[in-house]
Amino acid sequence: MAAVLLPILVLIVCAALLSVGMFVVAQLLGPRRVTKVKQMPYESGMDPAHDARRRFDFRFHAVAVAFLVFDVELLFLYPWAVANAVVNRDQQGLARVADAVAVPMWSPGLVFAEMLVFVGLLSVGYVYAWRRGVFRWR
Amino acid sequence: MFVDLSTIGLVWPEFILILIAAWIYVGGTLAPGRTTWNVLAWSTYLVVFLVMLKNERALWHDVAAGLVAINGPLIVDYLGQVSRYGCLLLGLLITMIASRAGAERLATEVSGTIMMLVAGLMLVCRANELVFLFVALELISVPTYVLLFLGRADRASGEATVKYFFLSLIASAMLLYGMSTLYGVADGTTVISGTAEVPGIRGALDRLPAGHTSLFLIGWVMVVCGLGFKIAAVPFHFYAPDVYEGTTNINAGLLAVAPKVAGILALIRLVLAVVPADAAWGWPLMWVLAMLTMTWGNVCALWQQNLRRLMAFSSVAHAGYMLIGFTVALVAPAAGGVGATLLYLTVYALAGLGVFAALAYLSDERHEVDGVAELAGLARSHPWVAGALAFCLFSLAGIPPLAGFWGKLALFTGAVRVVLAGDGGVSSWLLVLAVTGVLNAVIAAAYYLRVIGVMYFTAPVTRVAAPGGMGAMLGTLACTLLVLVLSVWPGLAFRMADAADPLLRQARPAVVAAWRMEASAAFAHDGDLAGRWQKGGD
Repeated sequence: MAAVLLPILVLIVCAALLSVGMFVVAQLLGPRRVTKVKQMPYESGMDPAHDARRRFDFRFHAVAVAFLVFDVELLFLYPWAVANAVVNRDQQGLARVADAVAVPMWSPGLVFAEMLVFVGLLSVGYVYAWRRGVFRWR
Repeated sequence: MFVDLSTIGLVWPEFILILIAAWIYVGGTLAPGRTTWNVLAWSTYLVVFLVMLKNERALWHDVAAGLVAINGPLIVDYLGQVSRYGCLLLGLLITMIASRAGAERLATEVSGTIMMLVAGLMLVCRANELVFLFVALELISVPTYVLLFLGRADRASGEATVKYFFLSLIASAMLLYGMSTLYGVADGTTVISGTAEVPGIRGALDRLPAGHTSLFLIGWVMVVCGLGFKIAAVPFHFYAPDVYEGTTNINAGLLAVAPKVAGILALIRLVLAVVPADAAWGWPLMWVLAMLTMTWGNVCALWQQNLRRLMAFSSVAHAGYMLIGFTVALVAPAAGGVGATLLYLTVYALAGLGVFAALAYLSDERHEVDGVAELAGLARSHPWVAGALAFCLFSLAGIPPLAGFWGKLALFTGAVRVVLAGDGGVSSWLLVLAVTGVLNAVIAAAYYLRVIGVMYFTAPVTRVAAPGGMGAMLGTLACTLLVLVLSVWPGLAFRMADAADPLLRQARPAVVAAWRMEASAAFAHDGDLAGRWQKGGD
């Protein structure tokens, strides 16, 4: 049990040391110039408290949508990769299940092809957005 | 639920449509031009239609014999088969009507998005699994939002788009909530109609101890609410008048047809399929919905001056008539209520689309025909358009011997048949429903005839131009011709609708449900039945 948990413990200790260490080192070594903008919660210059009906550049929206496309793509790719690995490892077990419910075994090739179709359709969306000038910052 | 290559073999037309739609999107950015891509879209529908007809000859033969196959998330039966071809035809008509829709720069978006929507419709036709059905319905909703947005760039159009978007989201959420409840009650089954080996929701419910139905009832009602939005049944109709009024004539035509077809098919596939045989709570709900929907829709349509608002309330009323069929089906499954609804849906879709196609022919992006008064004197300035419009309106009103009359006849005789065969309580309620339906048809005639009267017996106020283009004119003609064919030759449509009724099919003795169909079945030209269909129990 301890052998299993030891790497996790090491990871926790390393993560804690790294994050605390960065603060400490920044405090010790970093230059400090206190200005009005630097005291704001977001240093990007955006006023954190303002009227909700403020106008907002539409370009941010288009970029956000394009980002979301790839975000969702990754979100699908991870569980697919993990599940596909399980399928490849446990062929016999799945074949037994398939036998029990009297259906044919799915083929790993089909699962792979499905993901290719998904990625392909997303790529089409990417090309479309590109051609329509979503990524052009005008 | 397992998916293999045979499932892909069954949905290849939908795959092709989605691929071509993606190609139209991207191709439109590379080589802009409205006509080229419209022609590609039209020929896609035609070629897919013809190739399907050629390849699925064996499948047609099998499903016409009453065979049903369940393959992964799909159910292959006569209803699915007939309605898929109908959806392709609908796609062709809508693309024709919308051949001048939207801005020139975004023209390909319109035809590509319509093609996505048609793929969604075709998937709904055969959906037999909760997630699959929901995703297919979303494949109709999302393109609809895009099309509403592409319609016109002004305040009213934007308001209509946002209204439809948010209300449709709420409806989808309700539908999803109902589906998840069904999933939970049915012991984690997502297959809707199953076989003996792999039970569907209904089969799983039958094995539950008594007293578990209350939760099932909640899920069922939520599903009815979610789908009620799609067919614009009262009290889920309130978006329809505003959205129709705000958007273009083409989009209003799309809204009047596509979600309604999807909603009715989903009601048949899901709501009717999961009701236990001895349930006494199903039909009163449908009864109330039908009464409210047809009466409210027709009465409100009486004093509308805006054409699209009038047609919106009329589409609400037609949803009410179709709910009569569902009420009948829930009282007596073998009375043919679903078949009558399918016939009515076909007739309504063609005539409704014809009306909006004619209005689209009279409009362009600079000026949409809005008011009833704008049609004054149309019979003199554009006699053909006025004739087609009047013909479709007469059919919607149900004037014999037009197609709309045959649809209403089928619905009302279904109810009356149950009344004549039935016992006391239920049958008197159905008699009230049938009588209300007939009275409503009279009310409806008033406002349809008002429009026709304005066209034929009023002097023109403004000169009506007809800038809608060749596509809209062809669409108008095609819809009118199809309504005409259904009017003079309704027998085939009656027979097909009856054969497509899944409840009638279950009532027939020789039912074979097969769990799996060989991959070759969709492509085979002939061959013996038993070899390709592995028989299972029902």
